[in-house]
Amino acid sequence: MSPTAGLVKAALNSNFGWSVARHRLFVQKRDRWLIPLIALAVISVVPTLVLYVRLLSAAFDMLESLGQEKALLTLAILAGQLIILVFGLFYLISTFYFSRDLEYLVALPLKPSQIMLSKFAVVLINEYLTIAPLILPILIVYGFKKHGAPGYWILMPLTYLLLPVIPLAAAGLAVIGMMRLVNIGRKKDLLIILGSLVLIAAALFLQFGLSRAAQTSGPDAQKIMAIIASPDGLVQSIGRRFPPAIWVTSLLYDGLFTGPGFTGFVLFAGLSILLFGGLMIGAQRLFFGGLVGLSERSGGPGRRAKAAKKIRVTSGRHAVKAIFLREVRLMNRTPIFLLNGVLGALMVPVIFALALSSGKPGEDASDIMRLITSAKPVTAALAMTLFIVLCATLGGVASSSFSREGRKFWVSKVIPVDYRQQILAKFLHSMAIAGLGIVSATAVLVFRFHMDVEKWLPSLALALPVTAFLTCVNLAVDLARPLLDWISPQKAMKQNLNVLIAMLLDLGFLFLYGLAFVSLGKSGLSVPAVIGILFALSLGLAGLAYSLLLKFALQRYPSIEA
Amino acid sequence: MIEIDHVSKNYNKGAVRAVDDLTLTVPPGEIFGFLGPNGAGKTTTIKMIVGILKPDGGTIRISGLDNKAEALRCKHMTAYVPDEPEIYERLKGIEYLNFMGDVYGVSGADRRDRIGHWLEAFELARAVTDPIQTYSHGMRQKIILIAALMVKPRVLVLDEPMVGLDPRSSHLLKEAMRKHCDSGGTLFFSTHIMEVAERLCDRIGIIHKGRLAACGTLAELRDQAKDKASLENIFLELTES
Repeated sequence: MSPTAGLVKAALNSNFGWSVARHRLFVQKRDRWLIPLIALAVISVVPTLVLYVRLLSAAFDMLESLGQEKALLTLAILAGQLIILVFGLFYLISTFYFSRDLEYLVALPLKPSQIMLSKFAVVLINEYLTIAPLILPILIVYGFKKHGAPGYWILMPLTYLLLPVIPLAAAGLAVIGMMRLVNIGRKKDLLIILGSLVLIAAALFLQFGLSRAAQTSGPDAQKIMAIIASPDGLVQSIGRRFPPAIWVTSLLYDGLFTGPGFTGFVLFAGLSILLFGGLMIGAQRLFFGGLVGLSERSGGPGRRAKAAKKIRVTSGRHAVKAIFLREVRLMNRTPIFLLNGVLGALMVPVIFALALSSGKPGEDASDIMRLITSAKPVTAALAMTLFIVLCATLGGVASSSFSREGRKFWVSKVIPVDYRQQILAKFLHSMAIAGLGIVSATAVLVFRFHMDVEKWLPSLALALPVTAFLTCVNLAVDLARPLLDWISPQKAMKQNLNVLIAMLLDLGFLFLYGLAFVSLGKSGLSVPAVIGILFALSLGLAGLAYSLLLKFALQRYPSIEA
Repeated sequence: MIEIDHVSKNYNKGAVRAVDDLTLTVPPGEIFGFLGPNGAGKTTTIKMIVGILKPDGGTIRISGLDNKAEALRCKHMTAYVPDEPEIYERLKGIEYLNFMGDVYGVSGADRRDRIGHWLEAFELARAVTDPIQTYSHGMRQKIILIAALMVKPRVLVLDEPMVGLDPRSSHLLKEAMRKHCDSGGTLFFSTHIMEVAERLCDRIGIIHKGRLAACGTLAELRDQAKDKASLENIFLELTES
């Protein structure tokens, strides 16, 4: 096996933990309980998938009646590549620069491009999995509805395999360029965070620009007619700002052995190869420059001598406060945790607000929201509550609370602090981050959607106990099986199965909560009564969940082998 | 005092017996050296003493208290230094020391005196305000040792504490270990360095394949062995498969 192939194989094995999983399942015979749990999680997704497929089928029929069915392909390609671009940035920064194995890899007789290739392969496979539930159904539904020729079923998987290359390679080039620039001076972490924010803002700007471009042609009747009149009208309209989506559409719609299809293939494959090659050349020149020094000491002896005078010995801090402070510092000082946790909580509502902006009076999401709140106050209260709760809890802060400690978990096991106090500190920290999401979501409701105080305040009151309840559930999920052996912080948060399991549980609970909300709304009770009952119920559930979490901690903590 | 009573620990659902019916007592004032080949069960035993691992059978008592039933009180009396200096890299050295001081309830005055003393002794005062991620392996080892010594525990449990330390720091640590036991403390430590065990330990235990192959003073071990030349020879004789 060549060194490159061996390295890629080792990187994939290390990232996905195949060897560890095999050892745990078949040698240690642990974790077998996970198999039915994962099967259950997969089965629970089936109804949503069926609904999604039906929706796509209806969309295809509608577009086909206008002769625009291939726009579905353009939309799939565009959506897939945008998702890869935005989420890929986090993955790339984390995998390229914060994996713990890098310091060993750098010392091996390997070229920077070989290391970069192994890391790129890890991100690429992750992206295939990330976009699969959204994009694959579109491509498959299209194939079945169009009674696709055998050529389609050969080209479609190939296209899917190539799909992430352009956005990932482009993002990769931006990331290695940024890291080479910021890896100077002492405030590297801060610069990495600022740089990441600039990249995310750029990606959002692109997304915003594309959605605006798609919407500007909407209301004009003449334009609509022109689009419909041309077989490529909608495809061109959607893919105008991102031509690869149009090239892939031509390839899949017309086939490889046609003029437009072949041209689309050459352009798409050519750009993919060009950007990937550019990334490898860029890696050869810039990768080590950005990497070497990330773990260097931040100052010379002169600075150390000065620092020695500033030793600050504190005292009298309560153990809960000490652990809370530790959690805050570890999250805020680890760029990947900060970006995913704190900044994620603050930014998700803002991204949501931006995504719903058309910028045109009379069609803006805020006008629609105000209409809904006036017509159906219970539905509006439910929607706002769910929006606040989702912004507060879906970041994965609580469901990775124990996993984030990683190999340092031994400290939590040996310190003379009651496990219940440790849980309290972690609960408070998770709630503090959730609080940021709540504040940001409420600010979006107030300032973006111009909700009146009597509309958003009850939802805020309802969201608080629900968030506390879900925080307890999410902490319990991570406590049940903390992922302590990771080499990249990204793995502790975004690639942690516990975060996914907790998210599914949260969504399941919110579905039931929504049903209860609607049922109470239909029962003839007044809106304040519905809100009062649900508030009391949520508060009781939160209290019960916290008390069960403490009991679970007493039982589970001693069994965790760090 | 540490009392280990018929303690066992298995891995892989019993396929691997890491510690097998281990019984030994370390009285106060004694430095107990724990030797054994790689994978013999030293770290597993140490992790069970400090409560990181749960024994499958048997009991461990710290100063007469069951470390399972009275876990919190046992932890208050014990400080531990692991074989790998895995600590919070994103904290500064002083923040880690303050954190340990807070959770062990070390008073402000004691904390200032002890931190100042050990930072000077281990020559870490200049680096203590820097993040731990900028420390070398030896510096990380020193900061964990300072935290353990700062809390002045009754029982010190050290897993290969000399690894990564420079000769001066190693010498300082040995002095500190002796002083700890001379003042009535108990010390349990593992090492691969035979000279250290030979010179420093009051008693030595040799573990092999999870079982205690020999235990006693150096003189007692010599009496049990055929080749009495050195501890290394005794060790090799006892741990031959």
